[in-house]
Amino acid sequence: MMAGADICELNLAELSKLLAARDLSSSEAVMAALTRLERLDGKLNAFITVPGEQAIAEAKKADDEIARGRYRGPLHGIPVTIKDLFETAGVRTTAGSKILADWVPQTDSAVGERLRAAGAIIIGKTNLDEFGHGGTSTLSHFGPVHNPWNPERIAGGSSGGSAAAVAAGIGPLSYGTETGSSVRRPASYCGIVGFKPTFGVISRTGSFRGAWSQDHVGLFARSVKDITLGLDPVAGFDARDPASVHQDTAAYTARLDANVKQLKIGILRRFLEGVNHEVRQAFDTGLEVFAGAECEIIDLDVPEVSYAAMTSMMTSSAESAGINRQWFRERHQDFVPHVSRGIAVGMTITASEYLTVQRARHRIREALRRAYDRVDIIASPTTARAAPLISDAVKGNGDDTRHASYNHSNLLRFPSMLGLPGCSLPCGINTEGLPMGIQLIGSWFADQIVLNAALAFQNATDWHTRWPAIARA
Amino acid sequence: MKHKDKVANRLALLEGVNFSQAYLDAIAAEIEDLDRIVAELEEFAQSTPWVSQQSQSRGSKA
Repeated sequence: MMAGADICELNLAELSKLLAARDLSSSEAVMAALTRLERLDGKLNAFITVPGEQAIAEAKKADDEIARGRYRGPLHGIPVTIKDLFETAGVRTTAGSKILADWVPQTDSAVGERLRAAGAIIIGKTNLDEFGHGGTSTLSHFGPVHNPWNPERIAGGSSGGSAAAVAAGIGPLSYGTETGSSVRRPASYCGIVGFKPTFGVISRTGSFRGAWSQDHVGLFARSVKDITLGLDPVAGFDARDPASVHQDTAAYTARLDANVKQLKIGILRRFLEGVNHEVRQAFDTGLEVFAGAECEIIDLDVPEVSYAAMTSMMTSSAESAGINRQWFRERHQDFVPHVSRGIAVGMTITASEYLTVQRARHRIREALRRAYDRVDIIASPTTARAAPLISDAVKGNGDDTRHASYNHSNLLRFPSMLGLPGCSLPCGINTEGLPMGIQLIGSWFADQIVLNAALAFQNATDWHTRWPAIARA
Repeated sequence: MKHKDKVANRLALLEGVNFSQAYLDAIAAEIEDLDRIVAELEEFAQSTPWVSQQSQSRGSKA
């Protein structure tokens, strides 16, 4: 019999192989994850709600089904976690807000429905910035999420609880959302893989909106293959989400191919100025991996991207004000103060200003479209620095600016604003023992190319196999 | 229009919600940023077509 700690260090692909062969039960896997959650969450604060008894009952049911030959696929019986922005039938969904602290939805989100259909066991709802409005996971009514690599550091946000959970080995897979950088940033800060597909690939039905024209569902795991195993069951058209696109049955895992020879990788060098030198060094070393795989590295100059951060932030500010308008009028004092101020500012943006911002967005989109005629992927450091201190709060991220500049936050912001697929991968550990990430951004619907490049990178490096000390203490 | 009036005009869009003075001061500082950003984006977006995209076609495939 395998020890609980060992079970938690299995990745999804390994775990599902053992479950399918009945060499390990779902009950054992779920108990191991819940035990680790109980041991670590006092330090991480990564979870808001843990439906433990329900998870144990569902695991037993999964074991019965698998024993009777009704194996549903790679997620069957697997303990997973989801951001507390996704509605879950019968389990409270708070969105990190006091306003919804006791709200128990009657229906599942689309992601929840698909996970249950795939037989996954939801063991916990993860902590986040209130309604997804933030990049730190410190702006939660339920307190800040702590980074497993150093609990004095932020996990990044807004899907910080999901990233921290996976990094600490509390379930091999978690689902989050991204409006600005809320999957890639926490993945980078927590030393794991984070992927968000092209806009419209995964339905957002039943998840609270940060900003409807930029919101995506994304995933966290410790390997690229685990990402595709988690992506296949949840990708697909959903008529309830106006942004959802018709697509072939997802087969991202089957199409994984680490041969990236002749792949063209673009670098937007002007935005690397000001990036921390250790992060820059790790990124440059990462590029050598691609060069070694016979990829072509191409310098790109797309000056329009210097307007991406402020265009994205203005868009999300205006849209989130539209979404939260009624709650803001009636209960503004119940919002986390920083979030409340952001919504207030958004409410002062006029319709004609919002439309001007959308023109700017269109100009940036067309510039990037031309850039992707020349390259397959745009690569950059995911974040300009490793995880800042919780005590530095929002300012620590260094990108809470809406001004045009040549800074790195434009690279973090343009993929979600334009709906491009992006993956963050661990590419180093700095001298303070904190992970650093590289991001690969593809053109629209080039999700498989991004995943294949990520796999090639991961096959040539071992950063994704490192664990924070807290996971093994 | 005077700067002070511009801020006051924007604060009027908050639909009559009562805030503390400290809260209003914090918002006012951010609103100053907003005016600058809008001006920058207006200049940047000049001669760009107005966005006229309809919702996703149900018939299209990824």
